[in-house]
Amino acid sequence: MGIVLDLLKQDVRFHEGLKACMNCGVCTAICPAAEFYDYDPRMLVSIVQSNDEEAIIELLKSDTIWYCGQCMSCKTRCPRNNCPGLVINVLRKISQELGYFTESVKGRQQILIKRNIGDTILKTGYCIHPSIVKPELHPEQGPVWEWVYNNPNDVYERMGGNFDKEGAGTLRKINNEVLGELKAIFEVTGGTLLFDKIEKFSAMKAREAGLEGTDGNIDKYIEKVNAEDKI
Amino acid sequence: MKAEGKRNIWREYQKEIACDHFYYQRSCIRQNFFPASEKTFLKILRDELGKDIYDDPLHTTCTGIGYHTDVVPFDTIQAVVARHFALMTEAGYKNMAISCVTSFGIYSEITETWKEFPEELEKVRKSLKKAIGKEFEVPANIAHASDIIYKFKGEIAEKQQFELINKQTGKPLKIVEHIGCHYSKMFPSKGVGGAEFPHVLSGMIEEWGGEVVDYPERRHCCGFGFRQYMVQSNRGYSLSNSKKKFESMEPYMPDAIVANCPGCNMFLDKWQYTLAEMQGKTYGQNGKGIPVLTYEELAGLVLGYNPWDLGLQMHQIDCEPLLDKMKVPYNPEDKYLGANKKYIGRPEVAACLA
Amino acid sequence: MGKSIVTIGGGIAGIEASGILAELGYAVSVIEKEPDFGGKLKNWDHLFPNMRKAEEIEDYLSRKGKTPGITLFPNTTIASFENIKSGFVLKSNHGVSYSAHAVIVATGFEVFSAERKEEYGYKIYDNVITSADLEKRLKSGTPLTTLAGKTPQRIAFIHCVGSRDAKVGNTYCSKVCCVTGVKQAIEVNKLLPATQIFNFYMDLRMHGLEHEEIYKTAQEKHNIQFIRGRLSEVSENIDHSLLIKAEDTLSGRPLKMNVDLVVLLVGMEPGVGTTAIGKACNIEFNQYGYLKIPDVHLAGNLTSRKGIFVAGSCSCPMSVKDTIEHARSAAFEVHRYLIEN
Repeated sequence: MGIVLDLLKQDVRFHEGLKACMNCGVCTAICPAAEFYDYDPRMLVSIVQSNDEEAIIELLKSDTIWYCGQCMSCKTRCPRNNCPGLVINVLRKISQELGYFTESVKGRQQILIKRNIGDTILKTGYCIHPSIVKPELHPEQGPVWEWVYNNPNDVYERMGGNFDKEGAGTLRKINNEVLGELKAIFEVTGGTLLFDKIEKFSAMKAREAGLEGTDGNIDKYIEKVNAEDKI
Repeated sequence: MKAEGKRNIWREYQKEIACDHFYYQRSCIRQNFFPASEKTFLKILRDELGKDIYDDPLHTTCTGIGYHTDVVPFDTIQAVVARHFALMTEAGYKNMAISCVTSFGIYSEITETWKEFPEELEKVRKSLKKAIGKEFEVPANIAHASDIIYKFKGEIAEKQQFELINKQTGKPLKIVEHIGCHYSKMFPSKGVGGAEFPHVLSGMIEEWGGEVVDYPERRHCCGFGFRQYMVQSNRGYSLSNSKKKFESMEPYMPDAIVANCPGCNMFLDKWQYTLAEMQGKTYGQNGKGIPVLTYEELAGLVLGYNPWDLGLQMHQIDCEPLLDKMKVPYNPEDKYLGANKKYIGRPEVAACLA
Repeated sequence: MGKSIVTIGGGIAGIEASGILAELGYAVSVIEKEPDFGGKLKNWDHLFPNMRKAEEIEDYLSRKGKTPGITLFPNTTIASFENIKSGFVLKSNHGVSYSAHAVIVATGFEVFSAERKEEYGYKIYDNVITSADLEKRLKSGTPLTTLAGKTPQRIAFIHCVGSRDAKVGNTYCSKVCCVTGVKQAIEVNKLLPATQIFNFYMDLRMHGLEHEEIYKTAQEKHNIQFIRGRLSEVSENIDHSLLIKAEDTLSGRPLKMNVDLVVLLVGMEPGVGTTAIGKACNIEFNQYGYLKIPDVHLAGNLTSRKGIFVAGSCSCPMSVKDTIEHARSAAFEVHRYLIEN
């Protein structure tokens, strides 16, 4: 057995997510991603079920594994109690661990997410914080959000919040001691390691593509990833 | 449509919801976009229902968005959740009240994993101990915050100030309910009413006088898609899924949408604005959008709370048409004022929805 | 010979086995909980594979039930079951005792309760019916319309409802639904030639000499469209037509379709009667809740207890044809047992 199959089988979610698939298609039928992208969770599961290491590696390098929106509607319906969405989580984890994610347009986006959501978690204790929902990057949020964004102290105070202050309450400041605990958990459980791998493999890809700055920054690479340009 | 068929299904899914003494787990998205909803929830529990609920400053995000965007490993999120269980245990609580549907899904997935694979639980106990020296008990009861409102919907009805009735026509308000995929699609038995015909919101709507709209794409995802929204170039996924739902509900002419999940709340509100801007089309009546409420806001309106204390001014889609139908009084002048009526500027008017 | 037999269940299997044993000279009491005999046969219109009227088999069984030596006890259930040296004593709900040297359990099956497949909206949406409902409507001869009285423009037959589905607890194949679905599609096409008919299937299990022929005929002569994909959900449109979603797995794309009528091809389940009688007789069940046979090849009519035999679909899903054959072999096994003991 190859390394990828080994990694798959070590993940408890793989056993929860894939028992045996009979290719009935109920997952694809209601999959929001299947309707939007050229994507078929049934076929993806078929490839994984084949135990074909090479075919699975191809998958890990492809856009395919990044189309799922994690709604898990597939789990409700599967007559064999599989959950393609959970298999996806495992494939994505392995793709990042082995660096395959930088081979695809959608996979490369992981650096954007790591620097946005990932870093925000450790910096603020929240996945989403008003400071990262910048109106210029989120035109869909509309003028009301812009008003909130520009007046966070006043708006959150009006809403009975405790914005950026000590103590309990909405959007309170999460203190350094707590953030320290969060960081310790990330270090002990592989969270920090995954962040580092996403950074490392992205930097490698940037270098390989000649998109690394003289000081080692990968801003140009990130710009291209953002624009879904070929790299 | 035969309502009896649904009632039979609901009888199958009677989930156990604790009565009192809750440890509150806040939601990242709700705090950002519907902060007053969490305040309202605490107020309803404490002041209206006389319950004890603990709002712990020490808890953090569950990292759920990080997990579903795949930058946070399963081992890590398990330990973060375990830390919350440790905080709950230390504070002397056994029942979790979770504000976010994504978190609720995470808590369900993790506790189910521990049941099926006890070695995972042992692994988490060890890693939490190693990381921060804490130990924990698994909660006796894990409820989504809406489960608790559902459980006490009758008590709320007893104090009801405003019915979900269009006072202009005397007819029940037609309300779309949106449950949020992670509430019960993964574990149907963990949701009130199961996965196919969830009853958690429809139960509230009917109890308070409204009528639930059953439209074809009722079960479809709002389109959040985690990485599909978080990455700007993927957002077409998110928008197109919401659009599909609006198109599907449009013929029923709903008076409002009520959502269970803070993410869905935000998207169903904001994407209506985006679609109005992009295609000049609105899905509500008289060229307006369909107001999108959280269940806390809905309960607050029913209880007669001031709409601006409920935070309805933070919605991109104006809720005034709904307030007018319900004959809920409000002062338009106060809408965008800060605390103590301080003037803090106001949002630009959204052209398509004016 | 003077030996007596009690058959529990007066459906196809019970009557057929009892008739043969009565012909062989045994005294057979047939206990039936319903007021009449023949089981579910009275609900079926035409039978595959040759489309004969179900009434022909009903007539046959009705004659068989009159074989001298048979006594029929309608509206009767078993209240207690006792072992005695020479065999068994069964007491009915009417307080009557029956002694038997051998017992045949022929309690049949139940049609899967389609409302348990929640996502298909049976008993919620107006125009979702089951294959059993359709059979009754075909038999009644009333025009096939939507609830609002409209002739359906499009009908979808949905295979594997309540079968091969861990979600509803039935992982087995019910064997008869594939061919029933194709048979009914042909019948509907004959009645409503302008109506488009679609069958959504995972595999078409059209085994044997005749079933595949029915499938071919459906395609060649009746313009039935077969879509390989299991149905994922049904929802109702504002005009009470139905929106259905599946994947066309041959093209690998999700498929949505509006139809006027959905027919759910419901599978078989062991009935409450089988469960109750099995428990009363203290015989074993298999993992699916049917009565357990000790050897799938060589002892298809035996149970875990000596002297208690099984006939028909209380042991596994069976067609009418298979049920009659199984009942005949049950009669043989009982006869052999009574000669040997």
